[in-house]
Amino acid sequence: MAPKARKTGEPLEAKETLQAVIIADSYEDRFLPFTLERPRCLLTLANMPLIEYTCEWLASVGVEEVFVCSGNHTDQVETYLNNSRWTKDTSPFSLEVVRSTSTSVGDAMRDLDQKGLMKGDFICVYGDVIANIPFDAALKAHRARREKSKNAIMTMVLREAGDYHRTKDQHHRRCFVIDPETDRCIHYEQVRPRTSPRLNIPEEVLKDHVEIDMREDLIDCGIDIYTPDALAQWSDSFDWKLPRQDFVHGVLQDFETFGRTIHTYIVNEGYAARVNTLRAYDATTKDVVSRWAFPYCPDTNILADQSYQLQKGNLYKEDGVVLARSSTVSHRSVLGKATSIGEGSVITNSIIGRRCVIGRRVRVENAYIWDDARVGDDTVIETAVIANEASIGKKCHVKRGALVSYGVRIADGVTVEENTRITRFKRKRGYDNNEVCQGVTDPKVVGEGGEGFRLDLDEDEEYMYEAMLAGAQELNVTTDGDGISDFESGDEEDEYAHSREPTSRSGSFTSIASDESGETKRDHAKFHREASDSIFDGLQREQDPDHIQLELQAQRLTENAEDNQIRRAVAVAFSRRIANLIEGGRTAKEAVATAILPNQRLIKACVKEAGEQAEFLLFLQTDLVHRAQGSKVLLHVAFVLAGEDMVDGDGLEMWWEDPRSVATEELKKVRAETQPVVDQMAGESEDDDDEEEESDDE
Amino acid sequence: MPSSMVGQTPSLTGFLKSLKQNDIENSIELFISLLKRRQIKNSRPCAIATTHLLLRVVAEPKRKWDAQKLIARVRNVGRRLIAAQPREMAVGNIVRRVLGVIREVAERDEDPLTDSEFSGSASPITEEFQRPALPTRFSEFSPLHGAAAMPHNMHSGRPGTADSVSMDLGGTPQRPALLSTNASYAGQGPPGTSLFSILQHPQGRSPVATPPPGTQSPVTGPSPSRRAIGGEIPEKLDIKAEVIDGIKELQDELDVVDNQIAESALDHIHSNEIILTHTSSQTVQKFLLTAARKRKFTLFHAEAYPNNHEATHVTILNGAQGEDDSDERWKPLTSLGITVILIPDSAVFAPMSRINKVILAPHAVLANGSLLAAAGASTIALAAKTHHVPVVVLSGVYKLSPVYPFDTDELIEYGDPSKVVPFEEAEFTDKVDIVNPLYDWVDCDLVDLYITNLGGHAPSYLYRIVADHYRVEDIDLNAKLDAVAKKG
Repeated sequence: MAPKARKTGEPLEAKETLQAVIIADSYEDRFLPFTLERPRCLLTLANMPLIEYTCEWLASVGVEEVFVCSGNHTDQVETYLNNSRWTKDTSPFSLEVVRSTSTSVGDAMRDLDQKGLMKGDFICVYGDVIANIPFDAALKAHRARREKSKNAIMTMVLREAGDYHRTKDQHHRRCFVIDPETDRCIHYEQVRPRTSPRLNIPEEVLKDHVEIDMREDLIDCGIDIYTPDALAQWSDSFDWKLPRQDFVHGVLQDFETFGRTIHTYIVNEGYAARVNTLRAYDATTKDVVSRWAFPYCPDTNILADQSYQLQKGNLYKEDGVVLARSSTVSHRSVLGKATSIGEGSVITNSIIGRRCVIGRRVRVENAYIWDDARVGDDTVIETAVIANEASIGKKCHVKRGALVSYGVRIADGVTVEENTRITRFKRKRGYDNNEVCQGVTDPKVVGEGGEGFRLDLDEDEEYMYEAMLAGAQELNVTTDGDGISDFESGDEEDEYAHSREPTSRSGSFTSIASDESGETKRDHAKFHREASDSIFDGLQREQDPDHIQLELQAQRLTENAEDNQIRRAVAVAFSRRIANLIEGGRTAKEAVATAILPNQRLIKACVKEAGEQAEFLLFLQTDLVHRAQGSKVLLHVAFVLAGEDMVDGDGLEMWWEDPRSVATEELKKVRAETQPVVDQMAGESEDDDDEEEESDDE
Repeated sequence: MPSSMVGQTPSLTGFLKSLKQNDIENSIELFISLLKRRQIKNSRPCAIATTHLLLRVVAEPKRKWDAQKLIARVRNVGRRLIAAQPREMAVGNIVRRVLGVIREVAERDEDPLTDSEFSGSASPITEEFQRPALPTRFSEFSPLHGAAAMPHNMHSGRPGTADSVSMDLGGTPQRPALLSTNASYAGQGPPGTSLFSILQHPQGRSPVATPPPGTQSPVTGPSPSRRAIGGEIPEKLDIKAEVIDGIKELQDELDVVDNQIAESALDHIHSNEIILTHTSSQTVQKFLLTAARKRKFTLFHAEAYPNNHEATHVTILNGAQGEDDSDERWKPLTSLGITVILIPDSAVFAPMSRINKVILAPHAVLANGSLLAAAGASTIALAAKTHHVPVVVLSGVYKLSPVYPFDTDELIEYGDPSKVVPFEEAEFTDKVDIVNPLYDWVDCDLVDLYITNLGGHAPSYLYRIVADHYRVEDIDLNAKLDAVAKKG
């Protein structure tokens, strides 16, 4: 979509409808295991789904059209919204759920641009923003700037928060370098924890601006005012994923070339926060309960069926709460409808959902217990999250940082260790984002008769969570800013995360002379993973081979990859796909046929000459070494490839004779079974050649 | 979709504009969310918005109302509005007033004996203050006490059976007991003859003060001759039009209420007095301005930090501005030669000994004569009490609520703590709970005089004004519906 030149006359301005986009998917998995089963925006904060806060704020700003972009769990989001007041006739804005297969904010933006839904400037927020900031002034400033210059493509709304604030992201210290005269953001960088706080401000910036502010005291809650031009920018650069590191950084870098500017609007009244980590969840809940987000407090009863009443000490109780006479519920707690608390129990600083049953002599401190949970007698719960319908037995001890997911049952007398994540579901490996499957109960974790198992995460995420509870500010977390994770396949994922790390970093320290060879190697690794993932994905969904090919081509161009890399990626993807099919119960022969036959064109496109064919087979062989039934698969693949003329005799022979294909014992073993095919094919081709030669001679 | 609020924060003005285009259900929802988001707040804007909304509800096109349906509808809408923000009592007050108007129209309609003379003074606003119809029962004014708790024995000596039937239809299952509660209030009840019969035959009783339908018996009706005239005009009144007129009169009342209160300014403010006031109230400003035209006095102005101090400062410097976003500005008091001294709330005790009069503007006035006002009012009232300084409260009748303050904590709203301690002070706010109450409750014995648009009253007299303006059956909007539900 070409960015439409907006008419800036006043009368037109007045007629323009204010649109907003809610990015409902977080594209990250900081809320595991809860986000396995529910999208983040439907998690409850102080007993209200997060998206309600976002919608409420948008309504209060006067937005008239809202698009909800969702990648993961779209059905749940849609069902929820369809039953909410936002889709009723009386809703203050029209709401539409935009389904997309996006795996990052960038994808979602590009999708939006393609659909051409946005007519003018619009507000872009995440589905987990809690805010009450007045917005008129920001919009006005933005519009005034737009009238002056069409190049002002975006305004970021930031909240001032002092150096340390519980609601501020402690570990990604975001630095904004701002020209106070024009409010232009001239440089953006994230300072990593435990690195020296050194910014790398381009020289021109210092030259061009008389005065600059460097601010690190801002809460960036992802509220942006976009213009259609900004959306077009997203489309132009299809590898951008994150709105800050990629988009803002990218646009600012290209300032010299295109002259596009990004502005900031700094708010110093009102409340704005994003619930993007568990730590933020904790902090924001505290803010809401102690009324910083007023009027969005529980006792405002924003949802029609709520009936909270405020009592002294920020204690909120809904109707029908049953408290035993000897129980104590002290300050900063929220108790949902029909929750009952037994004799002698003590609840401090905790949020308890609806219809929960808390037994006798239970101690609950700083915990979050969602709807319909049960807690047995004499149990102690410290700073933990107990999700819906979970049940904790008698005499249990749930230690700090434990996360107990939906429907988990913990048997009597079990101690849940610190920072354990217990769930009943796990993500299916190497499959679509939404697919989860039931895991095997681990009695060591949940006790005899319990249900659930421990979900282990990467080291860094573990840290992330610890951070939430301990409130430690010195973190050694290595995931990136808005950390992307597309939930795909396990082992590759980790490597990807690690390899991604340094590249994006080098992106922000552009002028640092980097180790060239290391860089390229990493780039290769990155390309390989991305490409093979996307091909594999395409194969899995049985997409049109042309489509896959196109995507591959695009990736190749962005990364400037070489042909052999593509072959490797294709080979690995096919081998994965086949292995995947075999796991699904097919025989090796069937699997090979299903995987390869419809996608011949894909292979043909990347293997043309004999040398290339040999290389392709070599990659395949290498990959099959560690797959189940590798040798059989190789046999069938070779057979099919040869049979369908994707590989000819020369290619096979070259592969067979290549010393690399017999470099190790394993490789030899894998290819052993393929011997007859090679022999036959090689023979045939020789015959062919002979014949041809003969005919030539004649 | 509210199309007139393009790209701007919704507000009272936006809401009033959007009323014309939106359909009714949308408007109701919009008003509810505005109340919840506190985008319409304070008594006057709430009252204005409520009258406009109810006007739309009543005037709903293509809808023929009969009185009972209309009552049920308004009651239902009212209940939702009150539930949205129970602490804005003006909303509930206006709903009850409108219900009163409807009931009255309905009664006239059902009883053709009532003649036009009555309809002339139909509105509760225009009526002169007259003798209250019935002894009031305080304890039932609270929504906490449902009608179910009342004994039902007061049908005795009431001949109008037809009326009582209609009353039942009106969702009034039992007329709450008059005497028994009266007795409980007074401690000793005169057996239902003497006082009651006197009250049963008031002269020139105002229609608003009419006791609920059951008492509209022929005995209390107008003279036989009138009855004959009335009988000749059996034509039914157009309820809709009548009610709309009634609501419009309510709106007029809201427009002129400040002027009416200001009219009595010269009776209360004398030359060379020292007056203390609080907050940027429009009513108080108008009152003082009227006095300032004739007399010179000194004003101490407490700034009402942290929720209202900015408005107060602006008022002192530039004059008051209408709360309903109008551009109208009045001259500041200083321009009329009045000395205005701005003091922080905490300093009110020191000058109190020199002050002649304290003038307060309430957020809401409760049935027993106590009031809710911007935080800081309680300190001022207590300081005034200590120094025996009279406290005068200026309040339109629309702020007068039939709610009885059983739990004063519940009535007070707590606002955003960032006004007290800035959000940036994180290290501090982490460790302390900060509360920012928006209102203070001031007990009735701290107030000496109420000045309403009807004149001046002692706090102990307010219950009679309440009885004049609100029908007993409308006081508890929730309980009645339950009763109806039970019956149905």
